[in-house]
Amino acid sequence: MSNKRKVIDYTYQIITYLAAFVAVGTLSLIFMFVFSNGYKLLNIGLIVNDYHATFYNGALEENIEFSTTTRPTSLDSETYYSKKWGLGLKDDFDREGNSIIIVDYIASDSPLLAMYNKNNEEFTELIVFKEGQLVSKIAYFDKSTSLTRTGAEIMIYDLDSSESVREIVYSSLGGGIRGSIITTFYLIAITIAIALPIGIFTAIYLNEFAHKNRITTILRSLIEVLTGVPSIIFGLMGLAVFVPLTIKLTQADSANIISGSLTLAVILLPVIIRATEESLKVVPDTLRESSLALGANKTQTTFKVVLPSAIPGILTATLLAIGRVIGESAALIFAIGTAVKDDISIFGKSTSLSVHIWSMMKDEPANIELASTIAIIILMIVLLLNITIKLISKRFIRELG
Amino acid sequence: MEIVRKVNNKFLKIKNKNKKEKIDIVVNLFFLISTIISASFIIIIIVFISVKGIIPFITDNNGIGSVNIFKFLTGDVWLSGTAFKSNLYSVGFIIVNTLYIALLSLLLSLPVGVLTALFIAKVAPKKIAEFLRTVIELLASIPSIVYGLFGSGVILVFVYNFADILGIQSKGGNSVMATVMVLALMTLPTITAISEVSIRSVGKDIEHGSLALGATKTQTNFKVILSSAKSGIFASAILGIGRALGEATAVSLVAGNAKSGPTLAFFETTSTLTSTMLEGLKETTGIDYDIRFSVGIVLMVVILLTNIILNYIKKKVGNVDVK
Repeated sequence: MSNKRKVIDYTYQIITYLAAFVAVGTLSLIFMFVFSNGYKLLNIGLIVNDYHATFYNGALEENIEFSTTTRPTSLDSETYYSKKWGLGLKDDFDREGNSIIIVDYIASDSPLLAMYNKNNEEFTELIVFKEGQLVSKIAYFDKSTSLTRTGAEIMIYDLDSSESVREIVYSSLGGGIRGSIITTFYLIAITIAIALPIGIFTAIYLNEFAHKNRITTILRSLIEVLTGVPSIIFGLMGLAVFVPLTIKLTQADSANIISGSLTLAVILLPVIIRATEESLKVVPDTLRESSLALGANKTQTTFKVVLPSAIPGILTATLLAIGRVIGESAALIFAIGTAVKDDISIFGKSTSLSVHIWSMMKDEPANIELASTIAIIILMIVLLLNITIKLISKRFIRELG
Repeated sequence: MEIVRKVNNKFLKIKNKNKKEKIDIVVNLFFLISTIISASFIIIIIVFISVKGIIPFITDNNGIGSVNIFKFLTGDVWLSGTAFKSNLYSVGFIIVNTLYIALLSLLLSLPVGVLTALFIAKVAPKKIAEFLRTVIELLASIPSIVYGLFGSGVILVFVYNFADILGIQSKGGNSVMATVMVLALMTLPTITAISEVSIRSVGKDIEHGSLALGATKTQTNFKVILSSAKSGIFASAILGIGRALGEATAVSLVAGNAKSGPTLAFFETTSTLTSTMLEGLKETTGIDYDIRFSVGIVLMVVILLTNIILNYIKKKVGNVDVK
């Protein structure tokens, strides 16, 4: 081999190494970006909290019984405590990065627990004041109002030195993704419930029952074409077909989770059909023939002999389907809308986790932190599904020898 | 009469069959219905989108006036109707943008993808190949919205700074270049996975023949194996471009949504058919709602035509058949 040849060969080889590095680099960059931006917000509170903050205007009765609880030793050193009001406040930041004052501790005999809703005309409705809420304003009769920007220390000082309060404005901590998580679960459950039976039956028909004729070929190719349709077109179909259909048949009056699920079910059909058919194909014909020879009819053979051997394939199809539902965004933007909701009804609008990311990114300014945190959750689920699918198919291959 | 007798005969045949066979017939029918449902959706999609998409052209859209279909297909301005009381919707420039972006992204992802596939299939040691295969699978399973997030968090910043170095002002990085890069990343796993299969399935005899003639391993890889796997690689390119044309959410986050064009400069904002469809989501009736379906029809036609043309080229080019 000449030296020149060697040099050329090495260069070519290095090029392939570099190309392969692009894939690895991209994957690690995506993970690094998502984790470095999203890890700060990742906690249980994010998952169980509402997205929209609820605001309360609280006021107190005339005669106030002050608290006698002394500062609990378990409190953080950064928490400012008023013994008289039994209230501990702390400076913090919310999910958008704005500074807030958070209720860190309320004594059980605090007078603030007996606040009534000022917005209610009859002044009778008691409202909940609890730890974890944000205090945005405390107004007094005899001195100036303390606001969030004054900080927890001054707010507590003002509160401690006064005998009554005119109004306390507080709110829950918003920005949570509980609603989107629930929607995603609904979508997965309903979509699988619709798409799995139809998909499996279709696969069985095409693989076990269908005669080899022109009609079968046409049916098969019509299903094949569905694979190449981009998801945004499915979204348009959902908007044109399923949204009006669900409005007519159910109590829904706009795009809703059911119309979204139906749209997703159509997207998933070709995936499920193909995966199931693949697993039906590897069931050896001898099994079918023996079953038929023993006097079973075609139905019995299919359900008792062929289908049980195809279960790993069907399981894989289901997991693939779940992954697709979690990741789908374009179709859902049309089929269930982009409004982030907290009270989830299957007859109402809401967002899945992916669409939640899209809404966050389309906001001005975009909320990259929260979007990344949701992306972490999605990536983790997708990763888990992938590993499970690999394990299943490995076992499947081993069992078939 | 002939038909009636035939049907009658069939019924008699079924009647004479035993219970087990009757069950078979019922079950068969049931499965057939499922299959027909599955197969009917593509027809439903085409019919409903066409019916809705044709409305802007044949009605006067609540006084705005009907959209001229010739201008729609060839024009260079997209003016949202209800706000401006206009019927000046054109996707002509958007079609050009879409094809331009898809082609550029393929120019990036095809070489990288094919070389990666070659590396996995022929060059890399077994363990590294296995690892890379997992990496590609993971990349393929990342949802497009995460690519969009990555695009607007990393690629936009990169493009913005890059343009800045060149002395060009870009609108926050939203540009042709950013869109192309995001799409190239998204199509990379598809291209790599399919090319790898076709590279691996090149016959050993061809490879050994080349080696026996004195070619080095690298020469064989690049000159013999790649050209033998041509048709598979082409197929991967067709799939890749299909994905690039139909991708919506990720593109809408980095394209910048230009309202006129076509945009050929790398650092200018652009718009694709899909990103245009995702604009103005608040509308629920009227022309801004209906026009989305018209764009949908155009998108389907563009994808179909691209596929037909590329498949025709593939037939002409890929004459080495690989089993």
